[in-house]
Amino acid sequence: MTKTTKLITAALLLYTVAYAQPVDVYGYFEPQYNGIYSGDSYYQFQSNKLRVDLKSTAIANTEFGADVIFLLYHGKTDWDILDFLPAELTSTIPPLLRPFYSFRFEDTLYLDNVYARFALNRFAVTAGKQQISLGTGYFANPTDIFNTKDALDPTYEQPGHNAIRVDLQALPRLNLMALYSPVESDFESSGKMLRAKLGIGHFDISLLGCETQYTSTDFYTFEQTQERRHILGGDIVGELIGMGIWAEGIYNFFEDTEDGYEFLIGTDYTFDSGLYTMLEYHHNSLAKSDHEDYDLNDWMRFFTGETKTITSDQVYALLQYPLTDMLTIGSSAVLSVSDMSAAIIPMLQYSLFQNIELTLVGNIYIGEEGTAYSSSLGNGGFVRASVYF
Amino acid sequence: MILLHVSLAAILPSGQLTAQEEMTADEILKTLTETMNPEQSHGTMTMTIVTSSGQERTFKYETFSKDKGDKSLMKYLEPQRVKGQTILMLNDANDIWTYFPRTKRVRKLATHAKKQKVEGSDFSYEDMGASDAFIEEYNALRLNDENKEGRSCYKIELTRKAESNASYSRVMLWIDKENFIPLVVDYYHEDDPELHEKQLVCHDVELIEDIYTPMDCTMFNKLDNTYTKMHIVDITYQVDLADDLFTEMGMQR
Repeated sequence: MTKTTKLITAALLLYTVAYAQPVDVYGYFEPQYNGIYSGDSYYQFQSNKLRVDLKSTAIANTEFGADVIFLLYHGKTDWDILDFLPAELTSTIPPLLRPFYSFRFEDTLYLDNVYARFALNRFAVTAGKQQISLGTGYFANPTDIFNTKDALDPTYEQPGHNAIRVDLQALPRLNLMALYSPVESDFESSGKMLRAKLGIGHFDISLLGCETQYTSTDFYTFEQTQERRHILGGDIVGELIGMGIWAEGIYNFFEDTEDGYEFLIGTDYTFDSGLYTMLEYHHNSLAKSDHEDYDLNDWMRFFTGETKTITSDQVYALLQYPLTDMLTIGSSAVLSVSDMSAAIIPMLQYSLFQNIELTLVGNIYIGEEGTAYSSSLGNGGFVRASVYF
Repeated sequence: MILLHVSLAAILPSGQLTAQEEMTADEILKTLTETMNPEQSHGTMTMTIVTSSGQERTFKYETFSKDKGDKSLMKYLEPQRVKGQTILMLNDANDIWTYFPRTKRVRKLATHAKKQKVEGSDFSYEDMGASDAFIEEYNALRLNDENKEGRSCYKIELTRKAESNASYSRVMLWIDKENFIPLVVDYYHEDDPELHEKQLVCHDVELIEDIYTPMDCTMFNKLDNTYTKMHIVDITYQVDLADDLFTEMGMQR
C-alpha cells in the first residue's frame, strides 16, 4: 500500500466515522519564520504547518483519535550539513559522497497519530500511532528512547510512534505500564518496555526496563549496523527544602558494543515575584568529553537523532518571568561543560488573541569551531504564530 | 483558599444568635473552613482575565472536588489553545500535577509552583486550592464587626504563622454573618504586611441544593491593576465522584 493510499484509506475511515458518530475537529495553524546567520551569509526559511485533529468518544469507554499534519516549506530549503562542520572533518570526504550530506525540507502530508484507546476506570489500552512521553527532565529525557528534544524548544510536541500500550492503575498512586512497539518486522526485534510508577509522599518514582533494537550508521560509508539494547532505568520527581527536584537515568546494555549510561538531575524554584528558575545537569557517557575527538560520525549521529548529545556533560538553565498576564519573557542557556561552548536562547511568548499565541526564540551560539555550540553552527532564531481552532 | 460554597447546615439557627455573636475568631474560621468546602462538587466555571489595558481572555473549565476540597481536578474546555489541559491537586494543593494533552505529558509541580499564576490569571494555584490553609497557615484575630457589600459581617484578621510558607503575610476577611460566605478577602504581600496585593470580592449568592454558593467572585490585583472574574456556570453537590478520577489516569480520561 503506498503512502498516498494509506492516507486516503485513513481519511475515508475517518470520514465514515465522522458520518456515523460525532467527531471533534480541532487543531492549529502555525506559520514560522526562521533566520540564521552563518558565516557572512543570512539565510531564511519559513514553514507553514497545519495540524488537524479528529477525536471521537461516541462509543462508551473508547476514544478514536488521529491527526494529519500538512507542512509547506519556503525559502532556503536545501541545506548541506557539511557547511556547518569543521573543515578538517569535511575535507576528507570524497566529492562523490558529498551530496549524501545534503538534505531538503520537502512539503509533507502525513498521519502523525492514529490510535484507538479503550479505558475503564483503572485500565487503558492504546493501540496505534501515538505520542509517548517519558521522564521527568525538561531539557532532555534519558528514559525516553522514542524522542529527542530540541534544546531551542524542548516542550514542543513530539511525533507519534507505533505502539500498543497498556496502563493499569494497581493502587491510587501505583501505575503499571507495558508497551510494545512493533517497529521491526518480527516480535524479537521490536521494542518492549515495562514501567512501574509509584507515589510516595511528595515524590513520584518510576522504574523501567526496556528492550529495543539500536541502529547505528557509519556516516563515512553509510552502512548501518543493528544490535540489541537492554535498558534499566528510572526517574524521580518531588521536592526538598521547598525546591522542586527531579532525576532520571538509564543504563544501556548493548549486545555488541560498549555499555553506557545517561542521567539528568534538575531543580526548580518560583520566587514570590513570579520569576521561575530551573537548573539541570545532563551526562551521557556515550558522548565524548573532548571536542577534539568529535568525528564526522558523532556530528551526523547527533544531527540525525541517532544519539541524543554530542557532548558528554551539559548544564541547562532556564529563567521565565510573567511580565504581564499576556506576556512571558525568559531565557535559557546550555553550557557544554566538556568543551566550554554555550548556547543562549532568549524567548518571548505573547497571547496575541484568545486563540493566537506568538513565540519568539533566539539562539546565540558561543563556542570555538568544532565545539558542541560552535558559533559556526549559525546564530538566529524563529518567530512562530500558533493559531488554534 | 477560594471560598465558593457554604453549607446551609452549618448556619446557626436564629435562636443561637447570641452564641453566634460570641464566636471567637478561631470558631468563625473553623465554621467557615468546614462549611466552605462541600463534601463533593462538580461544576462548570468561566474565568475571565482583564488586563490593565482592557484586554480579556476567557477560559472555561470543568471542576471536580471531593473530600471537602482535599482532592480537586480542573479540566479546561475552552479556549482551544488549552482545551484538555488538566490540573490535579491533592492534599489541599500540596501535591499538584498538570497534564498537557498536546504532548501527552504529566508533570508534577513542587509546592513553590503554588505561587505561579493559573493561566496568567490573578489567581495562583494556592488561591485555587488549599481548602484549610486559613486554619493551618495563619493565626486568627476577630476585630469589630463591619458592614461590607451591604451585609453585616465578621471581620477577621489572619497573620501568617512563623513556620508557614504561605504566600501572604496577612489576610483580612469580611464574612457574612448569615451564611458564612467571605464577601471580601484582602491579601497582603508576602514581605510587607501593609502592602495590599490582592482583593477577592464574592457576590450573587444563590442557594443551590441547600448550599449557599457565590456565583461570581472577582480577584483584583492591586499591584498590577488587573482583575480576574470567576463565574459558576453550573454546579451540583449531589454527586458521587470516584476516587479514580483524582489520579494520573483520571487526568487523562
